[in-house]
Amino acid sequence: MPTASEMTTVNTAPGHTKNLLDPGFELTLRPMRYPQFYDRYRDAIKNTWTVEEVDLHSDVADLAKLSPGEQHLIGRLVAFFATGDSIVSNNLVLTLYKHINSPEARLYLSRQLFEEAVHVQFYLTLLDTYLPDPDDRAAAFAAVENIPSIREKAEFCFRWMDSVEKIERLETREDRRRFLLNLICFAACIEGLFFYGAFAYVYWLRSRGLLHGLATGTNWVFRDESMHMEFAFSVVDTVREEEPDLFDDELQRQVTDMLKEAVEAELQFARDLCGEGLPGMNTASMQEYLQCVADQRLQRLGFAPVFGSENPFSFMELQNVQELTNFFERRASAYQVAVEGSVAFDDDF
Amino acid sequence: MTIAPADPVSAQAASQAADDAPGTALLRTLTGLTADLPATDPGKVAAAALRGRHPGSDEAELRALATEAAAGLIAEEPEYSRLAARLLALTITEEAAGQGAVSFSGSVRVGHREGLLADSTAEFAAAHAERLDALVERALADGADNRFGYFGLRTLYSRYLLRHPITRQVIETPQHFLLRVACGLAEDHSERALDDVAELYRLTSTLSYLPSSPTLFNSGTRHPQMSSCYLLDSPLDELDSIYNRYHQVARLSKHAGGIGLSYSRIRARGSLIRGTNGHSNGIVPFLRTLDASVAAVNQGGRRKGAACVYLETWHADLEEFLELRDNTGEDARRTHNLNIAHWIPDEFMRRVEADADWSLFSPADAPDLVDLWGEEFDAAYREAEAEGKAVKQVPARQLYARMMRTLAQTGNGWMTFKDAANRTANQTAQPGRVVHSSNLCTEILEVTNDGETAVCNLGSVNLAAHLGEDGQLDWERLDATVHTAVTFLDRVVDINFYPTEEAGASNSRWRPVGLGLMGLQDVFFRLRLPFDSPEATALSTRISERIMLAAYEASCELAERHGPHPAWAETRTARGVLHPDHYTDAVATWPERWQALRARMAKSGMRNSLLLAIAPTATIASIAGVYECIEPQVSNLFKRETLSGEFLQVNSYLVDDLKKLGVWDAQTREALRESNGSVQDFSWVPADVRELYRTAWEVPQRALIDMAAARTPYLDQSQSLNLFMASPTIGKLSSMYAYAWKRGIKTTYYLRSRPATRIAQSARGGAAAAATPTPTVPVPVQQAPAEADAIACSLENPESCEACQ
Repeated sequence: MPTASEMTTVNTAPGHTKNLLDPGFELTLRPMRYPQFYDRYRDAIKNTWTVEEVDLHSDVADLAKLSPGEQHLIGRLVAFFATGDSIVSNNLVLTLYKHINSPEARLYLSRQLFEEAVHVQFYLTLLDTYLPDPDDRAAAFAAVENIPSIREKAEFCFRWMDSVEKIERLETREDRRRFLLNLICFAACIEGLFFYGAFAYVYWLRSRGLLHGLATGTNWVFRDESMHMEFAFSVVDTVREEEPDLFDDELQRQVTDMLKEAVEAELQFARDLCGEGLPGMNTASMQEYLQCVADQRLQRLGFAPVFGSENPFSFMELQNVQELTNFFERRASAYQVAVEGSVAFDDDF
Repeated sequence: MTIAPADPVSAQAASQAADDAPGTALLRTLTGLTADLPATDPGKVAAAALRGRHPGSDEAELRALATEAAAGLIAEEPEYSRLAARLLALTITEEAAGQGAVSFSGSVRVGHREGLLADSTAEFAAAHAERLDALVERALADGADNRFGYFGLRTLYSRYLLRHPITRQVIETPQHFLLRVACGLAEDHSERALDDVAELYRLTSTLSYLPSSPTLFNSGTRHPQMSSCYLLDSPLDELDSIYNRYHQVARLSKHAGGIGLSYSRIRARGSLIRGTNGHSNGIVPFLRTLDASVAAVNQGGRRKGAACVYLETWHADLEEFLELRDNTGEDARRTHNLNIAHWIPDEFMRRVEADADWSLFSPADAPDLVDLWGEEFDAAYREAEAEGKAVKQVPARQLYARMMRTLAQTGNGWMTFKDAANRTANQTAQPGRVVHSSNLCTEILEVTNDGETAVCNLGSVNLAAHLGEDGQLDWERLDATVHTAVTFLDRVVDINFYPTEEAGASNSRWRPVGLGLMGLQDVFFRLRLPFDSPEATALSTRISERIMLAAYEASCELAERHGPHPAWAETRTARGVLHPDHYTDAVATWPERWQALRARMAKSGMRNSLLLAIAPTATIASIAGVYECIEPQVSNLFKRETLSGEFLQVNSYLVDDLKKLGVWDAQTREALRESNGSVQDFSWVPADVRELYRTAWEVPQRALIDMAAARTPYLDQSQSLNLFMASPTIGKLSSMYAYAWKRGIKTTYYLRSRPATRIAQSARGGAAAAATPTPTVPVPVQQAPAEADAIACSLENPESCEACQ
């Protein structure tokens, strides 16, 4: 039960400086109140990519080479991807866009929505390529209902979506805390943990020379997702500055419990995927990895880590290091889109 | 044998391993292999391997896991690269032995039996079995396999070593492979040919010289297509010719050649087609077909085909051409597989400078422009303008800015200069002989026409292997290496399998080869020369001069034995004009040797019309474990991703220096990762060390261009010159490329830029995380850039070429 103080309406009287979570549809971009969100929007545009640039053709040959255990793993993984980004999109539209009252942030969210759409399209294309049989394709999309290990993760997401569904305006302290939990859930647990778990399987396969098309697209998805997560965290940072009293021990406890629960949900997925274990990939290693990632999320949010695990996957260590790609082998995954300036002859270079 | 693990985790692993046989065997192997690698900890590797095991893991699988575990530690301690390589060498040797390849002659027998190797190779190996087997034994005793780093060996294993057609197991070890490549190039079955083969094998097994990838792939096999580069003339402006070219491209692509071809003769969009009384859709729809064709032919699954399309800057479809690689807009007008390059006349650059207008023509209206260069081109271009033949006019700067934007956005749209290329070309002495484009990697410049497809065989000297014990360059050894290299590059001209008639026709007439180099950055690190120092430029220029001298001498010697190449009389060299003569400011370091060479050449002629080209060396440099060709290092720490997986590389020269300074610790390693491999902000490292270890992003590009310009007199073809700019703007790029043109650079290659944002640290644990104090205020992994220049990033776009190497 919320306490009396939590039922108190937050001060929105005239003359009061507006906060990010104050209800409304702010339209003013000049002077700009949250330039950091606008910068993120512009950076995101520079990372534009399209599904057509991903070359999946060598994957099909690889699929035939996989062991039954690996085939099971990749089948489950594709089924998870099939619906994962759509869930994130839905929450973005239904909750985040509604309540983060800054036109700069809404620009970013619009861009993020586009990126989620590209991800959905990528995984759809992937699924159509990997699963030539229409019945298999339908089954992959039905996995969210039929396959327990995927359903459990989806239910976790839905629960945190439902928790804010009824809130039209963030009037009370309790409303805002519920919103924050939803935001943190999607950033730290769904994009920041479920997806990071899925990425680990992809990069594990790639470290063994398999499924490069999937890995290329995943590189780009990974880059986008880490941006989304950072955006959400910077919203949290801003709210913390504006309304520090929302961040009390209770919130820390709730977030920590949420992450523990997310690690469990991802772990039961790992048990399904890994079975008795595959060379270089098993449930025990995955557990350490997930705990290590979860600790990082907690630290990023300013909370104490709870697991103290180390990352066992060397292939994930490599993920953020500069890459050098032979174009004979794969198109490089990084270039910028926006370029400015005009012709000159004596600029420094 | 005792094991002394450095930390409790590995001690635990050691005690666990004691209980099971595969684990014990692994620990024993690791301990043996690390005896002379004091910085490595076998227990730590064993622990990681045992963590990844699953029920039924046998010794071989544990070793594979240990190999990956060791590879994962390279960023911490470069010695792990040696350990990982040694583990992998064991795996390879076992696998090859399982297929019957326990000696070189045995390996060749298996390859021949399975229909992979040519009869002549098998006969040569059988005739000299004893001596050849002994060569390998001696090389192994000298530590030949030990010279490989993990990345190089892994590349050899996954893509170069021949595999059994059915079992897909390797049927040769790295040393068998290198000797097989040499035997495939033997002149005949004589003892003298055997001596030559032994000499080439000595160079390759010491990684002093490596032929290009197509030669490594195919020498000694039944399909010895060993050339790297093919340059096709533009199709004629008619349908049959256009479709005929697709066929040629497909044939060349199938056999691992990289392709450069021009489309400058094809009429532009809107031109009348008399046969149907309709209007042309221009070159883009044809390029789409080319794109699909290149993607379809994937070089036997070993690598994708690759091509670069050249277009002259006056072609009226230029603006659509510039959009081919965009990832927005109508996909029907995009090509995702083709590279694109500009073939730019001086007149265009002059008009950019003067801020004048530029006219765009359809080749249907101005068909002669393609085959003209220099003053004749300028005159014809102005005449066509005066006659009102232009399809449209645009401000030259507007077009130039558009070219710069494409470079920044895609890294593609390479700037290559038609007049500089033709003016100094040995093959353009006679009228009508025109260089129409460069190749896939912009280092080859050879004439083409409808019936002649230019070909080039490449190889690269590893400069790092030519530093003597005193640390200085061993010039005499460099001479000797170049001599052998040229002899065998020339041999390829005769032995090569030519996928098209047009290619065979051209190559036998001109016999061009392209000798290049790699490891220049290694030499600078060893001699402690900052990349942009005057000493570095002076040394680089001397190296190129010396290589040219030795290569020309070798070509004269070949001409004395076999006669000059058939088109000798049609070259500038035959008229006494050598390539350096085109550059009045080039001062010879060895004038007497040049004089002697001229005298000798006047008598003998040359066996080859062209000899020097610096290719990107992406793959062979990684096999040799050195920095690519003439490039500065891209980062002190970077990840390599290839078809065989991903690997981390650390600058081992830097690590040595930091160890000497006593600062190669967890904190520095973490800082290096956070900074994407830059040491510029490491206040705890002395300034001269920081200066030496700047990256390509931190060295002024002007210095790179100056160094390239200084070696240009000694490159009768060209060089794959990448330029680097983290956050390009139109102003910086236009200044940079205008400067390159003014300095007489013939060709440039990729513009490398960096992505706008980096991926968040996925997971950090252990020592690295412990070294970073837990922040009380959250520190964003990714700093939101406050200004356009302060962009944090981790990935970058250097797509580098392998066709050429």
